[in-house]
Amino acid sequence: MTVKREKAERLADEELMPLIGEKDPEAFAVFYDRHGGVAYSLAYRIVGERGAAEDVTQEAFISVWRSGARFDRARGSVRSWMLSIVRNRAIDALRSRAGKAPKLSFDDDAILEQRPAEELTEEEAMRRETATEVRGALGELPGEQAKVIELAYFGGFSQSEISRMLGVPLGTVKGRMRLGLEKIRGELAEGLA
Amino acid sequence: MNDDDHVHWSEDLAAHALGALEPERAAELERHLEDCERCREELLWLTPAAQALPEGVERVEPSPRLRARLMAEVEADAREAHRAAAGGFRQRAAAWLRGSGSGPIGLRPAAGIAALLLVVTVAGLALGGALGGGSDGGGGESTIVAGKPPGVTATMVDEGDGGTLRLANVHQLPDGRVLEAWVLRDGEVEAVRALFVPDHQGQASTQLPPMAGVEEVMVTAEPKGGSETPTGKPLIAISVPG
Repeated sequence: MTVKREKAERLADEELMPLIGEKDPEAFAVFYDRHGGVAYSLAYRIVGERGAAEDVTQEAFISVWRSGARFDRARGSVRSWMLSIVRNRAIDALRSRAGKAPKLSFDDDAILEQRPAEELTEEEAMRRETATEVRGALGELPGEQAKVIELAYFGGFSQSEISRMLGVPLGTVKGRMRLGLEKIRGELAEGLA
Repeated sequence: MNDDDHVHWSEDLAAHALGALEPERAAELERHLEDCERCREELLWLTPAAQALPEGVERVEPSPRLRARLMAEVEADAREAHRAAAGGFRQRAAAWLRGSGSGPIGLRPAAGIAALLLVVTVAGLALGGALGGGSDGGGGESTIVAGKPPGVTATMVDEGDGGTLRLANVHQLPDGRVLEAWVLRDGEVEAVRALFVPDHQGQASTQLPPMAGVEEVMVTAEPKGGSETPTGKPLIAISVPG
């Protein structure tokens, strides 16, 4: 059975998943339209090339299409699950292309800012606020903390690899990651308060 | 679980949330988490910070080509899944027609409908000429009777750009059930999009789509409002020779 576009648009991500599991293209189209932008942006941020980012995004969404029924809501939101798939595939693509360094910087939210406010749904507005908080928190982190987090999350490097790259003890890398992540978490918690 | 053990593993929780632990180390930590509630709570606290990182990424819009590629693949997959489901329906219907099918297609029909169950299989020549439409492209009519007298009578009229299926001597349906017609064309079951019920004389009729390529016409009992796909055994299945 295929739900109509209008009906699918009213459904939460968690409600779309069973429909995607039943191979409903309309449900999938709505899901892509909601998360394709951030998924592609994340892939591009990691692999640094448009073509490769498109390939990663396509693989990740097809993976969701074929395994949508396996989503476990106990492990977080659908969006987080989707983005973790994108991140893992992008890191794999990065590793398979030896010698290419990931693009590492947090800057320029001009594209997001250009979107007219009336187009933002409540959910999108919350995400935008989260984006601002994350950027703000990362911007305020001491450089060495932001660096280990970026290398780990967007570069796909392990803490041991980061330790060797930066020439600092493993314990120092662990400490910086922990402190940095706690500060971001604290910023998010303040935003929710 | 002692405090030292907790402190030892606690140092790795941020790296774990960021996906920056070596696989072996991550597996060990997962095992530790099963027994350490404090570590589980700390990880639960840190995880949203890691999950929020993609939200801070500069937005770059993907090419419309990506959406088109994705949807082409998804729609091809969906068609294949639909075809497979239709094939299963067809195979089970065929098994049922042969009398070897063990179960209903989809939901079991209500007991009250059982008396209505009937299969009409039309021999190739008997209906082929009528539905083939001849050289003028339409106008054939064929009536078949099944069951002991008075038996259900099914009449299919080919009108060129469509057809009519008329049933007679049909038992009354239970409340909340209607008849829905389906055609099997190129291996896929298509809904005729017309619901009908027998009148007090046991007569019922519905319009059929153009018959080119139709292999079977089936009628099922469906909940009021109809169904997107058949949910029960065909009450009537008419093979249409090619």
